[in-house]
Amino acid sequence: MNAPLLIARRDLTELARGGRLYWMGGLLLVLLVTSLAVGWQRQRESQGERARAQALDYADWLAQPERHPHDAAHQGMHVFKPEAALSIVDPGIAPYVGSTLWLRAHRQTEVKFRPAQDATGLMRFGSLSAAWVLQLLGPLLVIVLGFAALSGEREQGTLRQTLSLGVSMREVLWGKALALAAMLALLLVPAGLAAAPAVLLSAEPGARADAALRLAGLAAAYALYLTAFVFLVLAVSAWATSSRLSLVCLLGLWVALVLVLPRLLADASRAWVPSESRREFDRHLGADLGAATQQAWTDRFGAGKPFGSGVPLSQWGAGLRVHDQAGYGVMDRHFDALWDSYARQQELQGWAGVLSPTIAVRALSMGLAGTDFDEHRAFSTAAEAQRRLMQDLISDDLVEHADGHGEQHFTYRAARELWARVPPFEYRPASAEVALGRNLQSVALLLGAAVFWVVIAHAAVARRSHG
Amino acid sequence: MLSPRKDLLRVVRHELRVLAADRSLWVVSALLVLLCAYALANGLDHSRARDRARADALLEQAAASDALRASWRRVMTRQEPPDPWANPTDPSLVGSGLATRYATLPTAPLAPLALGQSDMLPDSYAVTTASRVEFMYDSEIENPWNLLTGRFDLAFVITYLLPLFVLGWSYNLLASEREQGTLRLLLSQPVRLGAVVAAKVAVRAAVLGVGCAALPLAALLALGAPLRGPAGLGLLAGAGALIAAYALFWFALAVLVDALARSSALGALVLVSSWVLLVLVVPVALSLGAALASPAPSRAELATETRTITAQSLARFADEFGSDYRHVHDPELLLPKNGRFEVPARLRAFFRASHELDSRLELALAAFDTQLAGQQAIVDRLGVLSPAIVVHEALAALAGNGTSRYQQFQFQVAAFHAEWRRFFQPRISEGLAITEADLDVLPRFVWVEQAPASLAKETLSSLLALLAAAALVAFAARRALARYPVA
Repeated sequence: MNAPLLIARRDLTELARGGRLYWMGGLLLVLLVTSLAVGWQRQRESQGERARAQALDYADWLAQPERHPHDAAHQGMHVFKPEAALSIVDPGIAPYVGSTLWLRAHRQTEVKFRPAQDATGLMRFGSLSAAWVLQLLGPLLVIVLGFAALSGEREQGTLRQTLSLGVSMREVLWGKALALAAMLALLLVPAGLAAAPAVLLSAEPGARADAALRLAGLAAAYALYLTAFVFLVLAVSAWATSSRLSLVCLLGLWVALVLVLPRLLADASRAWVPSESRREFDRHLGADLGAATQQAWTDRFGAGKPFGSGVPLSQWGAGLRVHDQAGYGVMDRHFDALWDSYARQQELQGWAGVLSPTIAVRALSMGLAGTDFDEHRAFSTAAEAQRRLMQDLISDDLVEHADGHGEQHFTYRAARELWARVPPFEYRPASAEVALGRNLQSVALLLGAAVFWVVIAHAAVARRSHG
Repeated sequence: MLSPRKDLLRVVRHELRVLAADRSLWVVSALLVLLCAYALANGLDHSRARDRARADALLEQAAASDALRASWRRVMTRQEPPDPWANPTDPSLVGSGLATRYATLPTAPLAPLALGQSDMLPDSYAVTTASRVEFMYDSEIENPWNLLTGRFDLAFVITYLLPLFVLGWSYNLLASEREQGTLRLLLSQPVRLGAVVAAKVAVRAAVLGVGCAALPLAALLALGAPLRGPAGLGLLAGAGALIAAYALFWFALAVLVDALARSSALGALVLVSSWVLLVLVVPVALSLGAALASPAPSRAELATETRTITAQSLARFADEFGSDYRHVHDPELLLPKNGRFEVPARLRAFFRASHELDSRLELALAAFDTQLAGQQAIVDRLGVLSPAIVVHEALAALAGNGTSRYQQFQFQVAAFHAEWRRFFQPRISEGLAITEADLDVLPRFVWVEQAPASLAKETLSSLLALLAAAALVAFAARRALARYPVA
């Protein structure tokens, strides 16, 4: 057997005898299993609920009696964001974005009902999920298991003995890394295997391959993430003059990288790319919508206020079409600007993945799980497209049928066939490949972090005398 | 032997000399002051933006009010024909948006201390006669990624980082002296072990206390005028006492573990694990437990119910929803006659439909409040499991940014919405035109602050919980110290 393997085996035996692995590892495992179970239950419940509600909603839409189409647009339809199968592992921003949209006449609305609004202030400590456990506590476990890996041996003089046997420092490093990796695998692989059937069962039958791909991607991402921390820990352990110093430095680094830096970055990105508050957004959107519809109205009908006395009822449908369509561009511009500001903020923060692998893995994990902002934005856009489809069908129908009634415009009743011309809303989340493509920045940074810490660890063992 | 007080003072003096010579005192203090200053600046910035937004909303309300009155006068003196969509004499239009009404929540004097829920829940709602469903479920728009990350406020520094400063600085109070062999030397002097520990803790506690309680609170006092006065000083004292009690708990824990652990490295590990457990794990676990024990009703079902009721109203009022365009031929219809105004059937139907929606949803909406209150009760009861929860929640409450104040705000907004509706209901259903006198007496939202006594009681009970936890651990530490092997 070669030296790294021997060293790894010895370390594993030694750690198996100590209490650290059982306490810290056990805690992590309990949390991981609990969070997966809770995530699975939540995912199943809300996915079923949303699918039922949406089917019911569409059935009600189709069952409308003969009525004026604009009344149908006031009833509108609800659409619900499907809950990603991988939200079992990483719910991402789900607690802070809604899942329900009421598509109705006149105006694009926001996705409502954020789960965090139905929770206490404790939600702000974080929500228990496998991703939370792995991102926050995973590195801590590596630290607790590995802070004395090299410094401890040096203190006890066993490192010198090992080296005297002709083993190189590099081999010792890889042996230690192997031991840490094996211990992490011991804990995490069973959890991953437990998650796999839950994820696959939760996915739509047609999307199981995609879910499997995403899960494999997540496993790889967290493996890279923990690898970066394994070598970071070994680098510090090699560099530190004592195990105590190693522990203190590592914990300090952990606090800085995992707890403090993300918050600082959020502030910095907000300062760099300001985003509008609700009041500002509503006011600007309202003003621009007013101006655009007025302009479109003037262009189409000459002077006069929208729906004022200047336009006869024989053109009410045409007026509605002008009014609605004038708003589309304005709404796109405002929502895009808002969402772009969020995307820019996140991208800026993403670059700090150079410093903290936690930031890189967080974005990648949400992206692969399909619970990130890109996915939310895609859903919102698709829902708005459905709303416009409904709205345009209705105003076209009014122009075609009701405007001919002249002054009796509002006596027009559309036949039921019109409702069926609005197709059911079906949102297909992006594929795993697309999700990966959106997160190449994080992939590169995570890979970079792993390589960086491997190199630093090598430099640390090479520089230090080990007597 | 010297008296215990002189005993203590002597060790304090000695400890101060040792610490001052050590760079760690300066580094720790500088870092702490820096973190606190940054957190406070962040908090001030955020609450000032909230103040500006509120002032802005009130200004907009006043301007809209003036514009409405001016437009009313022009219409009534026939200087201009009424706009059918913005007719100031039409009660249904005045109630549904022409008279802009904001219900706003003022920031509390200590708002910069803990941002709490203020980045997520709105501070103001534009109230109209439309259904509550239309506006009450809006939230502040903020990047969800940032909401998930959390804010860097003083409450964060205190809840998460202060314990680490305490632990980092005192995990080896005795172990290091013992490991270096200086403990025997120290105890060969006429001092007791308890006094040595107390003195070491006192010196560290003083530095940390100045850094993260006295300085930031003094800065708030200097910057925030509403804090001057007995009530403000009471709030500051409450915050200071909470922070001190929280730090005390961690000091007691450090001493206990120090007295029991065989080595300083083992002690450090145990302390870090306790921190992880109490600050990271217990809060998320309790949050989850509360949500499972008192789950929020389904929002998807609420959405379905809302739409079903709306559809039923639309069907029932179908005949009235056809827009009333008689004014095109008869503009006089838009003007009141003898104080009466014929509210267009469509608008009357909207008013009735939204009223019906609210009254039929009342039970469903109340269920959300009940369940959230249930979660809060669990958190209040079991929060004592972790001092981090106690201090975090108590600071948010003192800062006026806690869940319960926001919930109170929503209750008051809902009540104001009902009042607003009651004002317009007879005018719309009986067709009474809006008079100039009406414009003077339009309901206004007045926020009723939580009684200071009840906030004081809450803070006191949190403080007692923290002190009890600290006392319990300190008691155990004292017993452990009595058996401490000096050699």
